[in-house]
Amino acid sequence: MAQSRFNIPASSYVEALRRNGVDYFVTVPDWVQLALHQRIEDGVEGIQSVTCCNEDQAVVVSAGLRIGGKNPIVVLQNQGFHACVNATRAVGLDAQIPIVFLIGQFGREFSNFGEDTARSRARIVRLVDPIAEALGIPHWLIETESDLAYIDEAFTVALGQKRPVALVVGAPIGWE
Amino acid sequence: MEAMNTLSVCEAIARIRGDAVIVATMGSMLAFDRLGANEGRINSVPLMGGAASLGLGIALAHPRRKVLVVDGDASLLMQLGGLAGVATQQPRNLYHFVVNNGVQFAGIYNLDIAGKGRVDFAGLARAAGYALAKRYNELEPFSKDLPGILSVDGPTFVEVVVQPEKSVFGKEHPQTEVPDRQFTRMGDEARALGAWLQRT
Repeated sequence: MAQSRFNIPASSYVEALRRNGVDYFVTVPDWVQLALHQRIEDGVEGIQSVTCCNEDQAVVVSAGLRIGGKNPIVVLQNQGFHACVNATRAVGLDAQIPIVFLIGQFGREFSNFGEDTARSRARIVRLVDPIAEALGIPHWLIETESDLAYIDEAFTVALGQKRPVALVVGAPIGWE
Repeated sequence: MEAMNTLSVCEAIARIRGDAVIVATMGSMLAFDRLGANEGRINSVPLMGGAASLGLGIALAHPRRKVLVVDGDASLLMQLGGLAGVATQQPRNLYHFVVNNGVQFAGIYNLDIAGKGRVDFAGLARAAGYALAKRYNELEPFSKDLPGILSVDGPTFVEVVVQPEKSVFGKEHPQTEVPDRQFTRMGDEARALGAWLQRT
């Protein structure tokens, strides 16, 4: 199947990460972001990858890096975001250590692209926004390439307000 | 030979730490609090299982600074995959101690953990890929070996088997309110530690 405007190229994501000074890519690998994983695995100057066994660990490794003066991003899947609520509560909310999540919407039907994710038939997709809202986490949906500007906004909010923020990747990242 | 408890383990570590960061949790946090070893320390609280990952992040960010994680057995069991996470990165400056007292809520109200007396934590760390893994049951050899352990590149894992402190809570002494500090201290410590790392 041909890539559509919803499949934002991995190279554009890498550019956005570099623009925001990301130096650590802390992850539990995500199906939706395979192309971005491939780019990082191939090597991007200035960005180190840390693969974790689960999302709790990814959140806490990110916190340790942040305490040490680094600028990590936490890359995971929607169900991983659902799984790490308590770790996020502890280090992101109670301890006020900034976390920037990049969350792939695994299981989202292609007919929902460009539509409200609240109307997705997949519960795993529909739960992301309400969980983020319950936690008081600002979140942005990245649907098309112009939405990558939200990455800049998310870092500004996370670092300025010392809180977790979530960028939601709506569709499989393009391989270009 | 002298049996160990959490306090004596933490005392031995505090005595020799130099400018190393300490990442503690649960029982070790209370012991380091009693010892007044507060500078350059952060506690994964209330977050059982977070210590190793927190230490890994700090160790990666500051590769020339030793990071001493003082974990608990019940905490580590919650995030056993963290052993693989550490081993994959092979941080030479990370030293991961696990206080094995066989109970949860040690010294508060001792409840047996899953796998009590059966789990070989040092064996798990060795199998995961730590550079060195050792196990101690007595204080004297542990204290004697500690300088040597910290002089060798990690990631190193040290399991120390200790006697749990006596329970405090019960019918005569019911639970008291959890202080707000339990939820705010990790953030305060993170900010202080970040400044300390830049300063020292």
